[in-house]
Amino acid sequence: MSAFTPEQEKVLQAWTERYPYPNMGLLEALRQVQEWHRCVTDEDEEYLAKLFEVPRSRIHEAATFFPSFTAKPTGRHRIGLCRGLSCCLAGSQEMCRCLEKKLGVREGETTADGKFSFETTECLGACDHGPALIVNDELQGRATEHLIGKLMGEMK
Amino acid sequence: MITLLTEHFNEPKLHELETYRRLGGYEGLKKALVMGREPLMAEMDKSNLRGLGGAGFGAAMKWRTVTPEAKDPGPRYVVVNCDESEPGCFKDRVLVTRSPHQLIEGLLIAAYAIDARRAFIFIRGEYEVQHGILRQALDDARAAGFIGKSLFDSGFSCDIDLMRGAGAYISGLDTALLETMEGKKAWPRQPPPFPTASGLMGRPTLVHNVETLSMVPHIVLQGGVWFARLGTAKSGGTVLFSVSGHVERPGVYEFPMGAPLKDIIAAAGGVKAGKKLKAVIPGGVSTPVLTAEELDTPMDFEGPRAKGSFLGAGGVIVLDESADMVMVAHNIERFLAHESCGQCTPCRQGSFWHERILERGLNGGGTAEDIATLERAGENITGKVICALGDTVGVVTRALMKKFPQDFKDRFPQRHG
Repeated sequence: MSAFTPEQEKVLQAWTERYPYPNMGLLEALRQVQEWHRCVTDEDEEYLAKLFEVPRSRIHEAATFFPSFTAKPTGRHRIGLCRGLSCCLAGSQEMCRCLEKKLGVREGETTADGKFSFETTECLGACDHGPALIVNDELQGRATEHLIGKLMGEMK
Repeated sequence: MITLLTEHFNEPKLHELETYRRLGGYEGLKKALVMGREPLMAEMDKSNLRGLGGAGFGAAMKWRTVTPEAKDPGPRYVVVNCDESEPGCFKDRVLVTRSPHQLIEGLLIAAYAIDARRAFIFIRGEYEVQHGILRQALDDARAAGFIGKSLFDSGFSCDIDLMRGAGAYISGLDTALLETMEGKKAWPRQPPPFPTASGLMGRPTLVHNVETLSMVPHIVLQGGVWFARLGTAKSGGTVLFSVSGHVERPGVYEFPMGAPLKDIIAAAGGVKAGKKLKAVIPGGVSTPVLTAEELDTPMDFEGPRAKGSFLGAGGVIVLDESADMVMVAHNIERFLAHESCGQCTPCRQGSFWHERILERGLNGGGTAEDIATLERAGENITGKVICALGDTVGVVTRALMKKFPQDFKDRFPQRHG
């Protein structure tokens, strides 16, 4: 049994056809799988290897190299905090302690209910709005304790 | 003072095709298609446009080295590098957000120059909003006939597609970018061959930064000589600076090439809260630090180089008197260690040990011998690795140690007994 619905299989198939060479769609397909499953599992890798007609090692190589992909499921909401130099100067270390306290987990962990995972990230390209957060693929600038509380309240 | 890329940034709807057209958008593309390839290349030659992603390679020279169709029949590509990820740099994000069509127009002109019928914009995955803006801009430009078949009835056709990265800084290095696009881990290639001979899937490929291509319509419309005269002898035109750190108004500021560093800091409102300036990182964290006594440095590709640093991608990070330079060095080396792709041993091991040693200093366990180790080990990395990331490991730390020795003596004291 496939780990994907027929509709999802169609979406993945489309990534093999979008670019001049099928492999050029591989990273986008992995992004898609990460979004659906909140991780890339062994079964997912097997499936993509067959779909893209490449050795499984090619899929594993990409899935383990890039920080966007995880082997274990992230929380339903993925929170990243920038630890780049400009964000550090703007107070990102304090925001790290604030997030750890509010979530009750350490950096790199997921809450027991699977709702939130929290990680620090390298530069998010928002040095003018530090400390920068990325919440479910959306950049948020000027993190404060208040903003973090507000964002957490909005996430279901 | 003249600005090019940011000239119309006060227009709230500049990102929409209608506004861009009203302000003369896509007229550069039309002019380029009418004038023909060789006259276009002649203007590029005269412009002194340099690659603004950090390397500063002459743009016209790069275009001319793309293997011509006659020598290598088959597709050729243009790839836009919008994988901006160096701490301190955010101008590409602002350019794409505010003026996506300016980039698309420049991209199409470059594609015409090298006769590429397909082009790709590779954007970092974290720029999800900008990905959406570009997708909309591409759809609108396609619907209006600026992308697609026989543009302006010239017979030249080109389509543009988007692709997203997955969080690796090294993907922003041209050859690693190509590997990423091919669905592989982002390991830089060892040139030669350069991408202009063997790039995406082995085909001749022109890889350019967002800012570089955004300059191209202005060169076509105003002429290469005019553009060159805006800048200095070897660096033509203007350049964007992303200013962050301890300043009043962080943001993107456009200046003619060669503007003194102090003017750029002044434009950002000066040092925050009236504090004293300690140092400035001029071009993103991979560029060695300049001191408060070096604010007259002209910011073109030559100016910072004369002081042992680089213009880089114009990521100016201002550090006030409160900055601990060991913390700064640790933050930067930790970044490089995390982002090292692991291919070359000197970079992989060197960045790891720089991070460890600097961390020891921060945690109170540093000794004077650590400084000697950092100096000795650091000199065995640069020039012994494939890519520019590896070349950077240790360089920033050595510059900080040289210019701010007291910060390091405090953290790495002589210990007796």
